[in-house]
Amino acid sequence: MAKRFALALLLAAALAIAAAYASAFLPGGAPAWAPWPMALGIPAALVAVMVLGASRGGRVGRLAIPFAFSGLVLGGGFALALALPATEAPGAALYLGLPLRAAVVLYGIGLFPIVVLPIAYALTFSEQTLNAEDIERVRLAGLEWARGRDAGAPPRPAAPRPSTAEAIPAVPGART
Amino acid sequence: MSQTLSGGVQHPAIIAVAIGYFVVVAAISVWATRRTKTAKDFFVAGHGIGLVALTVASVSTSVSGFAFIGGPGLIYTIGLGAMYIVLPASVTNVMGAWVLAKRMRLLGEARGLMTIPDAIGARYRSPAAQGLSGVAILIGILGYMATNALAMGVVIDAIFGVGLGWGIWMGMGVTLAYSVAGGILAGIYVDVFQGTLMAAASVLVFLAVLKVGGGLTGISTSILDHDPAFLSPWGKITPLAALSFFFVFGMGSLGQPQGVHKYYMLKDPLQLRWYPLLKTLGLILVLLLYFGVGVGVKSLVARGALAPLSAPDAATPTFLLRFTPVLLAALVFSGVAAATMSAVNSFINIAAAVVTHDLPIALGRKPKNELAWGRISTAVLAVAAAGLAQLSGSMVAFLGIFGWGLFACTLVPALAIGLNWEGATKEGAIASIATGLAVTLSFETLNYFKLYSFPTGVTVSGLSLVLSILVFFGVSWLTRARAQAGIDPDVRLVMSV
Repeated sequence: MAKRFALALLLAAALAIAAAYASAFLPGGAPAWAPWPMALGIPAALVAVMVLGASRGGRVGRLAIPFAFSGLVLGGGFALALALPATEAPGAALYLGLPLRAAVVLYGIGLFPIVVLPIAYALTFSEQTLNAEDIERVRLAGLEWARGRDAGAPPRPAAPRPSTAEAIPAVPGART
Repeated sequence: MSQTLSGGVQHPAIIAVAIGYFVVVAAISVWATRRTKTAKDFFVAGHGIGLVALTVASVSTSVSGFAFIGGPGLIYTIGLGAMYIVLPASVTNVMGAWVLAKRMRLLGEARGLMTIPDAIGARYRSPAAQGLSGVAILIGILGYMATNALAMGVVIDAIFGVGLGWGIWMGMGVTLAYSVAGGILAGIYVDVFQGTLMAAASVLVFLAVLKVGGGLTGISTSILDHDPAFLSPWGKITPLAALSFFFVFGMGSLGQPQGVHKYYMLKDPLQLRWYPLLKTLGLILVLLLYFGVGVGVKSLVARGALAPLSAPDAATPTFLLRFTPVLLAALVFSGVAAATMSAVNSFINIAAAVVTHDLPIALGRKPKNELAWGRISTAVLAVAAAGLAQLSGSMVAFLGIFGWGLFACTLVPALAIGLNWEGATKEGAIASIATGLAVTLSFETLNYFKLYSFPTGVTVSGLSLVLSILVFFGVSWLTRARAQAGIDPDVRLVMSV
C-alpha cells in the first residue's frame, strides 16, 4: 500500500516538475504559475522516494508522521516563499538575522527536517530498517545463490507473487 | 584589493602548513598500502570501515573544493539563490540512507558486490545494464576528474608558485601515489584527516565572519541597505532556477557514485542507524563557510570595508587574507588542495573499478587479477585526467558541468528507484540510462558550442533527470510482464527487508 502510494506520488511529482520545465518553453517564457508545480512537486518527489525506501511489508509505520511533517515543511516553505509579499528592503524586520522569506527558507527548509528525519530514522531503525535477523537471512540467501552459481545452475528467479509480506517469512522484531 | 587564488597566496606559514598536509597524506598512504592486499581492500576497503571514519570521509568527499572557493563566490554573485545547492542536505543524507544505504550494504553482504554497476547488474540480472551504467559513470568521472585536476593545479600553484602545469602534475602525482598504493583505504583515511580539519576551519571562519560583520543581523542590515534582492528567498535568480537547483541537488544526490559507493564499505551494517544524523551534522559544519563567507564578503563590500571583488572566486581568499589569522588561512588553502585530491582519489577508484570489473563483465569476460589491474587502471586514468586538465579552461569547465547531472539522470531511476520497486524492468533501466546519457551529452554540447540553450530557469541536468525518471516508469510499465521474473531470490530479499 505504502509503495503503491509512493510510486503514484513520485510519478505525479515527476509530471508536475516536467510541466514546470515545459512551461518555460512557451512563447514569452515561463508563466507566473510555473514555479508552483515545481515547488509542490519537489517535496512530493523527495517524500515519495523516502516512503519507497522505508516501506517494509507495505507499511511505513510510525514513520508516516515524520514523512508528513517533512512534506509539509518543504512544501509549505516553498509556498510561503512564493506567496508572501517581498519585504526585503532597508530597515526591514529581521527574524534570527534574516528577512522573513529568507528565514522561512533557510531555517525552515534548511534546518527543520534535520531535527526530525535523522532522529526518526535512528529511533525506528530496528523495527523499520534493519536488524540482526535481517542480515542473517540475507547472508543465507546469498550463500544459497552462490551455491547454485558454483553448481552451474543459478537458482531460478522467484515466480511472481502477490505481496512481499506473503513471500518473505516474518522474523521476530521485523515488521513484515 | 581582492585576492584570487590565481594571484598567488604564497606565505611561509601557508607553505609550511601545506607541506605538513602532504607529509601526513604520505604517512597515511604508507600505512594503508600495508593493509591493501586484495581487490576488495582496494575498491571497498574490505567492507571494513567504522561508522565515524566513514561519516567524516563521506562528508569530505561530498563537498570538494567547490564548497570553499566556488560556492561562496556564487553566493556573492547571485545571493541566496546559491543556497539551493546546499539546502537539500537537510534531507538528502537520510533519504539516501532509507533508499540506498541498507540495500547496497546488504547486496555487499549477500554477494560481495564492489561497484555501483555491480548492484544494477545484480538487480536486473543484466550485464548490459551494468555495462551501460559503467559507461555513464566513466563519462561523468572523466569530466569531474579533469575539473578537479585543474582546480588542484590552481591551488598548488597559488601556494607554491610553481605554475599551473606543474601544479596539476604535482597534485596528481601525490594523489596517484596514495591512490595506486593504498586504494580507497588510503583515500578514506586521508579524507578523515582532511574532513576533520575542514570542519574545524569552517567553524572558525564562520565565527570570524560573524565577528567582522556584526553578527547575522549586522550582515543582513548592510546588504539590505544596498542590494535587497540579494536576500530575497531566490536571490538574484528566478524561482524556477532556484527550485531547479534544489531538485537536481536533492533528488540527484541519490545518483552520486562517490557517496553511494561508500555504503559498501561500512564494517557493520547495523551502524547505519546513526550514519544520516552524523553525516548531516558534519555537513552543516563544513557548509558554514559556504554561507558565511558568501554573505559576509557581500556585506563588507556593501558597507565599503572591501572593494568589489575582481572575480567571484576571490571571495574566500580575500576574506581569509584580510580578516583571519594566517594560520587559519593556511588551513583552508591546504584543505582546498586536499579536498580536490580527495575528490580525484575517490573518482579514480570508482573509474578503475568500472574499467577492470564492470566492463569485462558486461562484455562477458571474467575479471582476473583485479588488484593489479586496478592499480594499473588507476595510474592510466590519473595521467589521462591530468593531461585533459591541461586543455583550455573552458573545455575543462564544460567537462565538469555535466558530471553531477549525468550521474543523477543515469543512476537515480535505475539504481535508487529500481532497488526499491520490484515492478522495474531491465528494459526500463537501460532506457532510462540511455535517455539520461543522450539528453545530457547532446544538450550540454549544443549549449557549449552556443548552438542552442534552454530558456531561463531550465537546466539540462534538471530536465534530463525528470525525463529519465518518466522514461523509466513508462518503459517498465510497457514491459511489466517480465518484471517479477527478472529478480534473483537473494536480491528480492534485499529489496524486501
